[in-house]
Amino acid sequence: MNAVGPALAAVGGLAVAGALAGGLAPARVRPLAAGLCTAGLGAAGVVAGAAALGGARYGVWLPGLLPLAGVRLAVDPLSGLFMAVTGAVTVAVAVYGVGYASPGGGMHGGRGPGDEDAAGSAGGRHAGSDAHEPRDALAAGGGDHGVRSRGAQAVGPVFAGAMVLVPAAGSVSTFLLLWELMALASLLLVLAEHRERPTVRSAGLWYAVMTHLGLVLLLVGLALFAARAGGESFAALRAGAGGMPAGVRGTVFVMTALAFTSKAGLAPLHAWLPRAHPEAPSHVSALMSAAMVNLGVYGLLRVGFDLLGGGPAWWWLLLMGAGALSAVYGILQAAMASDLKRLLAYSTSENLGLVVLGTGAAGLFRAAGDRPLAALALAAALLHVVNHAAFKALLFCAAGSVLRATGLRDLDRLGGLRARMPVTAGLFALGALGAVALPPGNGFVSEWLLLQALVHGLAVPGAAAAVVLPVAVAVIALSAGLAAAVFVKALGVGFFARPRSAGAGRAVESPPAMLAGMALLAACCAALALVPGALGPALTRAVRAAGVGTEKPLADGELGVHLAHTSAALHPLWVALALVAGTAAVAGLARLPARRRARRRDARLWDCGGGAPTARMAYTATSFAEPLQRVFDDVLAPEQDVDVTPVRESAYLVERVRFQRLVPDRIEHRLYRPLLAAVSGLADRARGLGGGSVHLYLGYGLFGLVAVLAALVVGW
Amino acid sequence: MGGLLRKIRGTGRVAEAAPPRPEADPLPAARELGGSVQVRCVDAGSCNGCEIEIGNAFGPVYDAERYGVRLVASPRHADVALVTGPVTRNMAEPLRRTVAAMPQPAIVVAVGDCALDCGEFAGGYGVEGSVVDMVSVDVSVPGCPPEPAAIVTALRTLTGR
Ligand code: SF4
Repeated sequence: MNAVGPALAAVGGLAVAGALAGGLAPARVRPLAAGLCTAGLGAAGVVAGAAALGGARYGVWLPGLLPLAGVRLAVDPLSGLFMAVTGAVTVAVAVYGVGYASPGGGMHGGRGPGDEDAAGSAGGRHAGSDAHEPRDALAAGGGDHGVRSRGAQAVGPVFAGAMVLVPAAGSVSTFLLLWELMALASLLLVLAEHRERPTVRSAGLWYAVMTHLGLVLLLVGLALFAARAGGESFAALRAGAGGMPAGVRGTVFVMTALAFTSKAGLAPLHAWLPRAHPEAPSHVSALMSAAMVNLGVYGLLRVGFDLLGGGPAWWWLLLMGAGALSAVYGILQAAMASDLKRLLAYSTSENLGLVVLGTGAAGLFRAAGDRPLAALALAAALLHVVNHAAFKALLFCAAGSVLRATGLRDLDRLGGLRARMPVTAGLFALGALGAVALPPGNGFVSEWLLLQALVHGLAVPGAAAAVVLPVAVAVIALSAGLAAAVFVKALGVGFFARPRSAGAGRAVESPPAMLAGMALLAACCAALALVPGALGPALTRAVRAAGVGTEKPLADGELGVHLAHTSAALHPLWVALALVAGTAAVAGLARLPARRRARRRDARLWDCGGGAPTARMAYTATSFAEPLQRVFDDVLAPEQDVDVTPVRESAYLVERVRFQRLVPDRIEHRLYRPLLAAVSGLADRARGLGGGSVHLYLGYGLFGLVAVLAALVVGW
Repeated sequence: MGGLLRKIRGTGRVAEAAPPRPEADPLPAARELGGSVQVRCVDAGSCNGCEIEIGNAFGPVYDAERYGVRLVASPRHADVALVTGPVTRNMAEPLRRTVAAMPQPAIVVAVGDCALDCGEFAGGYGVEGSVVDMVSVDVSVPGCPPEPAAIVTALRTLTGR
């Protein structure tokens, strides 16, 4: 008996307890009770995951829990990795969520982007009135809607529990059940603030439709798989996969891969992500962006590598293509975004793109027979999953703090938060360091590993590898460079300089519970950045469980990262120490001549002799992104509109200039709009079929039945 | 490119031969500068005649830079403010701020009759006063407009070269 079973039972139990607490507890203790249960179930998830990563395997069939199929759980190190990551994120975010749902803060009246316009353009005019009123109203009302409502508090633990349990599923029915539970719970949470902002409703609609289309694909794909394999437990699928014809295997892979990449937020099936993640309450955004999207990757690995047992190169080239597309497209859209949470959501799309790129490379190497390299690529991808979870949860939580303190998500109206929210600003900076993939951040380690795998992969024979791998290396380099611009923008424009709106000027630091949750995540980021080698054995076991390679991708017993099969090594701890020493030396040297200079004089800021510079003159997110937008003009196709109104007396005197620029999601415009138009056109035409006559409907039934029977007779 | 090179070769050097070094002793403040003087021009409301002559002083013919004078783009970089014109109402405060923004020792050179006593524009409705009324002037260059040679000579008293 190992720790996995009791820990999983604790996850289930605490999820139910949390739901009850969230639904029944009085409003005052509701967030605390639900949050404690959620944190507890996260901790249990970490315990189960760590035990599984330590080598414990666990399997159980509980026929009484569900009619017909029963619940089947099977845990191996691959599930363990994803359970541990989800659990760890859940613990930190649950602690954060207790503070987030506590009364106070500027956001809880739910002033959405629409109201911000008024507050921002009017400058200090409504400084006294525009935020206090909703805040007080809510503090008094106890919050029957929004994040503090019964519904949202009850669904939170269920969502977290379902996420932790998805990787433990051991049969198709259990997997789909938990998957759908996770999707529905997250949908309800996305909709938590639907009364405050109309945009939430459309985001919820997009999310609901896309996630259920994904479910349909998954259902059909896995049902086909189970029917051909002759059993629905994962063990039966694994056994039956070998004997299936290539066409069926390919169909199963493509259908499930579409569903899983959509869940992971990969372009072109990403459209829900930049809508739903920003509109959800921030702790939910953190859970979705740092934990839920990972499960799409888990599904790809489980079905593609483990259950189907790998496949031909074209499967993996498809994945690499989708990964590369979303890596570049995601980060480009993030570079254009001026909504902080939307920016983070697009960056999720980018990072998961990199992960899937690594996964595809692993499959490609495996198909070419180079197991050690495949193991390395997969280890890099998995490490990036872990790193991304840590820094993205931290970034979303910090963005949530900003939103709560200022009521703003729009970077153009933020600014000056470093002085007003120093802890949050520092934590955001730490997360951003991880996200830009530069040393000494944690994202650097996994992207470096990924690059190592791809560069060494050039030795793999085949024309596809020779073309695809150099392009993939270029994609990673480009996305890393753009990521630096994105996060310099987010940090510099959002937190430095002066506040550009009344809301940002009033910001105060978040309550201790939120800071504690973020500090946990920051500690994870720092540990991952400094001693990534500690994860080596766990990664090896997870890669082995995925059936990709039995070799160790990383050498054991190192604090740094040491590739087992090549001479490459990286010691982030030394890199960090060298950076600290270098910075200290430069700072010391710069002080030396300054000490000798005796005469110092105070002078006012040089403002070209005019008035003092105002916050309106500072760089905004839009102006910071403008040069990049010019460079990628052809790709982004921004829509720009300048509207000049002259005064009545003369055409040469200008009264008003209106400037508007939109950078629309181009994939969405080109792919989704026509599709939606076609669907609604079809639906309009189908309306004619429903004439209202009972005889007609009976006729339809008859013809339908005959058609199905005829198809069965002919086709089967 | 070839055309440009040919032009340069064909034109040759047009700078006039350097006149002898001015007799006057350099200002005590200017001695600290060690012969390298950074200049910021401030147009406090001139008719631009003085600016044209300053431009010529730094052009190829008079070539003030060979005596160690250089134009810079910010008072923060400058040792000397070269001020022209009567000081208009809108420029009075910016002029004071510009001089205050310069590192010590800050030297002010007033160029043109307007700068010294408002010249043509004395009594104009938008004129606040002469440069001398606004900031303490160290060197004056009279003339309407002064000749480039006079401007160069004044600057040479600062560089001592
Ligand atoms: S001195 Fe003469 S040239 Fe110079 S600004 Fe005055 S009017 Fe113009």
